[in-house]
Amino acid sequence: MEQKVYTISELTRGIKGILEKNPNLASIWIKGEISNLTLHSSGHIYFTLKDENAVISAVFFKFANRNLGFKLEEGMSVLAFGGVTVFEKRGSYQFNVHQLRLEGIGELQKRIEQLRKKLMGEGIFDRSRKRPIPFLPARLGIVTSPTGAAVRDIIKVALRRCPNIEIIIGPALVQGAAAAESIAAAIRELNRPEWSIDVIIAGRGGGSFEDLMPFNEETVVRAFYNSRVPIISAVGHQIDHPLSDDAADLYAPTPSAAAEIAVPVKTELSGEIDYLVLRCRNSLYASMKSFRARVGNAVERRVFRSPIDLVSGRELLLGDVENRIVSHVREKIKQARAALFSMPDVKMLARGIIRAKDHRYRLALESIEKLSPVSVLKRGYTIAMDCAGGIIRRTADAAPGDLLRLVLYDGELRCTVDSRMKGGVFGKEKTAKD
Amino acid sequence: MEKKKQQKTKQARGDARLDFEKALRELEKVASELESGDLGLEESIARFEKGIRLAKYCHDRLDEAERKIEILQKGGEGVEKKQVRVKSETGEIEDDDELQGSLL
Repeated sequence: MEQKVYTISELTRGIKGILEKNPNLASIWIKGEISNLTLHSSGHIYFTLKDENAVISAVFFKFANRNLGFKLEEGMSVLAFGGVTVFEKRGSYQFNVHQLRLEGIGELQKRIEQLRKKLMGEGIFDRSRKRPIPFLPARLGIVTSPTGAAVRDIIKVALRRCPNIEIIIGPALVQGAAAAESIAAAIRELNRPEWSIDVIIAGRGGGSFEDLMPFNEETVVRAFYNSRVPIISAVGHQIDHPLSDDAADLYAPTPSAAAEIAVPVKTELSGEIDYLVLRCRNSLYASMKSFRARVGNAVERRVFRSPIDLVSGRELLLGDVENRIVSHVREKIKQARAALFSMPDVKMLARGIIRAKDHRYRLALESIEKLSPVSVLKRGYTIAMDCAGGIIRRTADAAPGDLLRLVLYDGELRCTVDSRMKGGVFGKEKTAKD
Repeated sequence: MEKKKQQKTKQARGDARLDFEKALRELEKVASELESGDLGLEESIARFEKGIRLAKYCHDRLDEAERKIEILQKGGEGVEKKQVRVKSETGEIEDDDELQGSLL
């Protein structure tokens, strides 16, 4: 009787059938520790799952591992859902993973929820006690690992926004058994008044659920709560939300975002200040201009009515006013100069005041100039005087044949009165104005 | 004694820093008041002087801090500050000595 000879392909196909069609080996959960982890560039993940006595190869295809949500690492204990498949070309069997979960995560999450309830009962997450983050911190405190990505990101962003900020790092272990105590100790240290810190950012970069666990530990959450200095929690990525986030005054989705919240952009602020000063200056100039125009109008009207009054009677008075203004301004400038030397801090300010005073002085001079007889004369007015220097105000002050001196702005004309006529040439305006 | 005094000045500086925002808001108010055109000349000038004073104050606060990156390290007599160099582009701490990772 001839023995049936199978080809390797036939045998393997047979084995494949037995293994893959067995309902006890398809669609099952298995538990094991990850080793020989390979993240292939194709997006597929290869590793072996093992316990004390056995190993099985596992493959986690791209389409299945897309929504994993955490980073796989060597030594991780996981629960894998999937089935046994046979790879004919290599004569090997493997576990095809459809879903993967961290083992024990359910337990951890339960513990976190219990702690959340307990701390909530104590009011540790109360919104009412949240303090505002200072607008312009001069000294920023950071609690994280001094070698991690988080500290680099925070420093980089902070210096870019405000190049002259001071940073004090409170180094802390951010994963492992000692992490919680280390983070809490660093927060407490940065709270000491001698470091005089304005705002603290405490956190770490992204990682597995377990990596972020220290920020769910009671001692860390309480350290956040007890921080005298306003504190920002900045843990992991956007999706992570440990208990420290709720105990902090504010939480940021990432460490870089925390730096953006805590540190203002210096150039924006100084630009805003300069813009406000410009607005002040422009409005002041505008109102000065309008005041000057009003003064000018008033002068013009009065000159129109009785130019001679202004010229004669007020000359002395004007001189006096001018002297008073000049000495007042000089006094002010003297005071400002004195302030300038006694308080070097206010140099800028004093200069500003002097500039403003100077402006007022110039403004006053301009008004005075407008009132001065010379400028009136320049506009075409003439002063008529008799030979004794008496001013001719009315037609009655001179008789035909009298010798008169007509004073113009650049000299005088001597003339003789020919005849006298009543009725002013400005009669019309006069009645209109009166 | 020296330390206490230092602490006191720092405290005062801290309070002043918190007033930055207040001063900036005040400056905004001054600008709006001047722009409203409702003020007399004397008042306008007085308000302008106040604005310049506020702006100077704000600029001083902005320039007050000095760029300095320090790390706390456990030393012989408790925790000490240690200045470190940092690469601005990357934020990376460059230090010759090994830094302690924890204050514990």
